[in-house]
Amino acid sequence: MSETTREPDARRLATDARDRVRFEEEALALSDQVYRVARHLVGSREEAEDLVQETYARAFRSWRSFQPGTNLRAWLLRILTNVNIDRGRRQQRTPDTQPLEEGDYFLYNKLESTSDGTTDEERVVERLSQNDVVAALSEVPHDFRDVVVLVDIGDFTYADAAQILDIPIGTVMSRLHRGRRILKQAMAESAVGGEEA
Amino acid sequence: MTATDPCTHCEEMMQPYMDRVVTDVERAEAEAHLDECAYCRKRYRFEAKLRQFVRQAVATEPMPIDLKTKLAALRTPLQ
Repeated sequence: MSETTREPDARRLATDARDRVRFEEEALALSDQVYRVARHLVGSREEAEDLVQETYARAFRSWRSFQPGTNLRAWLLRILTNVNIDRGRRQQRTPDTQPLEEGDYFLYNKLESTSDGTTDEERVVERLSQNDVVAALSEVPHDFRDVVVLVDIGDFTYADAAQILDIPIGTVMSRLHRGRRILKQAMAESAVGGEEA
Repeated sequence: MTATDPCTHCEEMMQPYMDRVVTDVERAEAEAHLDECAYCRKRYRFEAKLRQFVRQAVATEPMPIDLKTKLAALRTPLQ
């Protein structure tokens, strides 16, 4: 009797171990992408490293709650966002109605006005430096930056971003719009400021 | 606002269009508008280029190699 029950148990354990190994390998294969998003969700490289480690520790512990066939990268980012919140980085209370003085084309106008007569869109963009972009992104308030980072850098859909951040899709869209605008303003300021220095 | 942005009503359309989350009808409407509005066309080209630029600018910092090792060490040991 015990012979017959032990065998299916052993088989189940073997299947379980194989599924777990496969899950861990798939999760590790995504670590570059997870880190890239984390790096811009938090302020420093050290924080990002820490956050990613804690995320993977939790993910490996609760691998059974992942549904195979669904988006693993989004699942990992959801954990990462929760870890980040648990660590005291509360959701910022930045009102969605924070006023913005300038129109959406502000950055283009600024860059064009400081360039040597070029109005070509591609050339104008090249007046920005990598540092301008990285510094500007870190100035965007968290609530807005989270969405910009997930959609524009992490390539997540609105629906995935909504699920990861636990907010409605409409909020993703409005924060994205505003976040991109704040980002553009910050880039315009650093680019133009650099020009004058 | 309108002084710097003569086509503000297009913003609502531009974002989902650029993010490719529009229906076929909305996409056709957006493309028809881009065909006839030089201002929005210019803006679209600029925004598309800018987005690509931002993505490249932030992607250059690779993940630290020792972090990869640390993550691999978190795996459950095989029995």
